[in-house]
Amino acid sequence: MAEKALVLRHITKWFGRVKAVDDLSLDIESGQLFTLLGPSGCGKTTTLRMIAGLERPDAGEILLKGQPIVSVSRRIFVPPEKRKMGMVFQSYAIWPHMTVFKNVAYPLELRKVSSSVIKEKVDKVLSLVGLEGLGDRPAPNLSGGQQQRVALARALVYEPEILLLDEPLSNLDAKLREQMRLELKLLQRKLGITVIYVTHDQLEALSMSDQVVVLNQGKIEQQGKPRDLYEQPQTPFVRDFLGKTVVLRGVARAVEGQRLRVELTHAGGVMVECPCHSPDSLSAGQKVYVSVRPEDVVVTEAGYASGDNYLKGTVETVLFAGERTECQIKVGEESILVYVPRSQVMDPGQSVSFQLPREAVNVWPA
Amino acid sequence: MDTIEASVDQPRGVRFQLNGQTLLLTLFLTMVAFLILTPLFLLLLNSFQVAKPGEPVVYGMEGWRLALTSRGIREAITNSFSLAITRQLIATVAGIFLAWLLARTDIPLKRFLEFMFWLSFFLPALPVTLGWILLLDPKYGLLNQLLMNIGLVSQAPFDVYSYWGIIWVHLTTTGFSIKVMLLTPAFRNLDAALEESSRVAGAGPLKTLFRVIVPVMMPAILVATILGVIRSLEAFEIELILGVPIGLHVFSTKIHSFVTHEPPQFPPATALGTLFLLVLVILVVLQRLYLGKKVFTTVTGRGFSSRPTPLGRWRIPICIAVLTLALGITVLPTIFLVIGTFMKLFGFFNIQDPWTLENWRQVLKDPILFRSIKNTLILGFSAACVGVILSSLIAYVIVKTKYAGRGFLDFISWLPFSIPGILLGMALLWTFLLVHRFIPLHGTMYALVLAMAISGLSLSVQVVRSFLMQLGDELEEASRISGASWLYTYRRILFPLLLPCIIVVGLLEFISAARNISTVVLLATGQTRTMSLLMLDFTAGAELERATVVAVMIVAMVVIAALVARFLGGKFDIKA
Repeated sequence: MAEKALVLRHITKWFGRVKAVDDLSLDIESGQLFTLLGPSGCGKTTTLRMIAGLERPDAGEILLKGQPIVSVSRRIFVPPEKRKMGMVFQSYAIWPHMTVFKNVAYPLELRKVSSSVIKEKVDKVLSLVGLEGLGDRPAPNLSGGQQQRVALARALVYEPEILLLDEPLSNLDAKLREQMRLELKLLQRKLGITVIYVTHDQLEALSMSDQVVVLNQGKIEQQGKPRDLYEQPQTPFVRDFLGKTVVLRGVARAVEGQRLRVELTHAGGVMVECPCHSPDSLSAGQKVYVSVRPEDVVVTEAGYASGDNYLKGTVETVLFAGERTECQIKVGEESILVYVPRSQVMDPGQSVSFQLPREAVNVWPA
Repeated sequence: MDTIEASVDQPRGVRFQLNGQTLLLTLFLTMVAFLILTPLFLLLLNSFQVAKPGEPVVYGMEGWRLALTSRGIREAITNSFSLAITRQLIATVAGIFLAWLLARTDIPLKRFLEFMFWLSFFLPALPVTLGWILLLDPKYGLLNQLLMNIGLVSQAPFDVYSYWGIIWVHLTTTGFSIKVMLLTPAFRNLDAALEESSRVAGAGPLKTLFRVIVPVMMPAILVATILGVIRSLEAFEIELILGVPIGLHVFSTKIHSFVTHEPPQFPPATALGTLFLLVLVILVVLQRLYLGKKVFTTVTGRGFSSRPTPLGRWRIPICIAVLTLALGITVLPTIFLVIGTFMKLFGFFNIQDPWTLENWRQVLKDPILFRSIKNTLILGFSAACVGVILSSLIAYVIVKTKYAGRGFLDFISWLPFSIPGILLGMALLWTFLLVHRFIPLHGTMYALVLAMAISGLSLSVQVVRSFLMQLGDELEEASRISGASWLYTYRRILFPLLLPCIIVVGLLEFISAARNISTVVLLATGQTRTMSLLMLDFTAGAELERATVVAVMIVAMVVIAALVARFLGGKFDIKA
């Protein structure tokens, strides 16, 4: 089996009395785009900086291709300049007193590479990030997007095996962000480089990553492929952090193997059948929550069908949001957020039926 | 390979890593602490020592007794406070108006006016005093003569040798300028929305000023005033020239008179010095703790001044008034100073044939002049070099390292600010006399350089520090991650970025050294006299004509250096 690119074992970091990173262990495969996702203060940037060597953990160790680069118990610490990683900072950290070329050439110059080789490599990496011809521009004359590309070029020019990206898109405007998401992903694929990506933006995390780990207060909430995290969140935090969720109150009525029947107590007593991944943890009569994504709800004409997973309600508010319409539908005491496609016209006060598809529903203990 | 450790459950204390870096920094910290604290400690100690330096030590309270009961002491102390507080109050009120006008209204010639106030700060006190003497002397001051000749008054209305004379000269040299320099940027950064909502509600510009702007800016105003009081308590040369002749002493001149007495009376001098030092240190500590340091860096965000308040038909009259003030405190005394150099008898415009070039000829011929120019230049450049190295190192340690002792380092680098020049001079004098057998520093240029390096430390550290804080850690971290060692990072990233700031700090130190009197007056000898001290000697010896010649040279030197510093500072966006 190939060596994992990076392994973190029981990494802990204190800042004063606050445990910023709490017993964190991660395995990162080579060639992956691996994302650390979470709200501010969850420890993701601290973890990245410990990987880079800019912070020292209080406990644990980090192994790069099987070799320890920091180990608190064995008193090993490889300084950042010897770790052979590339890093793009959130502020880009472009040196203002140098040109684009000099900024990118810096890592090669300090490695005493000959100037002809430097020119070749710098030109190559500049065209890789789409900045060919801008070599002579002084750094302060660059736009935000250009600075970011220079930072990227500088991190890649010495061909590191691991690239660390600290919220690289957060300072860009929306359009540029979209464009860069795609470019970064393509770049990573092309170079086959392992990327560790830190962000609080779930859209970036979901759309770009091979693996995502959701962090909260220094601990791992869940790790997995983007789709798995989105469709099958395993903790309420992950459920609520990724996308929008509708949560309905209910009581479990019957457990049948992998299926659970729940009565929606506040939505008119409708019965809902849900898949249940851990049937042993739930028993009949237990209070539960039923969750579903607003875009998974299927709205039909009033009176269309009835039975399990079919609800009837009244439309309260309708908000046109461009690519979709967001509605609040009142059912019993619950107010449910539903996304309908633009083609479907809804009016406030309208009676509707809607279905909660069996596979799209999740159950949570209350 | 599988070493799995139990996770750490308790927070660690401040990690004390015994490595090369910590050791080096601790050594550095000790050296700086030693430099600053030893003279102060010796000062305190020797206030209880009644024998002369060199004689066997005898302890007693004689010094304190003399200091507190000596004739005129109580008046001197009262005068110090009274002068300081009065002029700060006037300066603050004027400063508020001026800052508001310059920062938030549509007064014309804004940049020029601000520049003139800025320039007035750098004009050395004594030369400006000489200029004002020419204008406001009760017997032959030109302004007095003019007013009497027109017939407006029957006797001289202005007397510069007075309480108010002292206040006026202080106001024109540092009073107005410091307030304008400190408050204008703060006023500029004020969120325009605060003002505009007051106007929309119906308040006119003046009402808005008093009921909205001033209360919001009160922290900045308070800090500026207290800083001003602290600085004012240290005042020396103006009081020496204008106050002592009429028996108006302040504590600094009293100390000076004790030390320059024949024979020197060190015990009461050190006792008095210690007393005042205590008061000043308390004030500085209070100001730091209570009012905090970030009061002037009001973050702007998006609330930027969109439209300046229109002054309407008052626009031109107010501009003329401010212009008159600005020119009156810079150009006016300077012109008269220059005029004074060409007078046969200083101040006497009415004698026959009052003009001459003889003063210039005499002074330029005198070898004393060239020696003092040399001394000034040596002092200026040395103090600049030492100051730059010391302050940049201290600032770097405080801002960029995680060294445990950096809080303490920060504190001691602030201490010199609270030490009046005359006290520092005296403390160092005592120190040098004490160690003279081992390290012969007394009477050398080194003594002066050391004194100026210490005295300029606080400001220089502040300037470098705020510049470093703007730089951001990530610039260095990006270099480390790219593979560079700390030294390579320093050489290629930090130093080039610091360079403009360092040059400005060097120039500020040079200016401070060139025009300083109070710190070096007790330390210099005939050989090591700088131009400022030469000028003081000429003044004290009633050779005012020669004094003005030297004064003009000092002003020229200082103004040129200030302009260069401003040009560079503006280019690289450095805020002192």
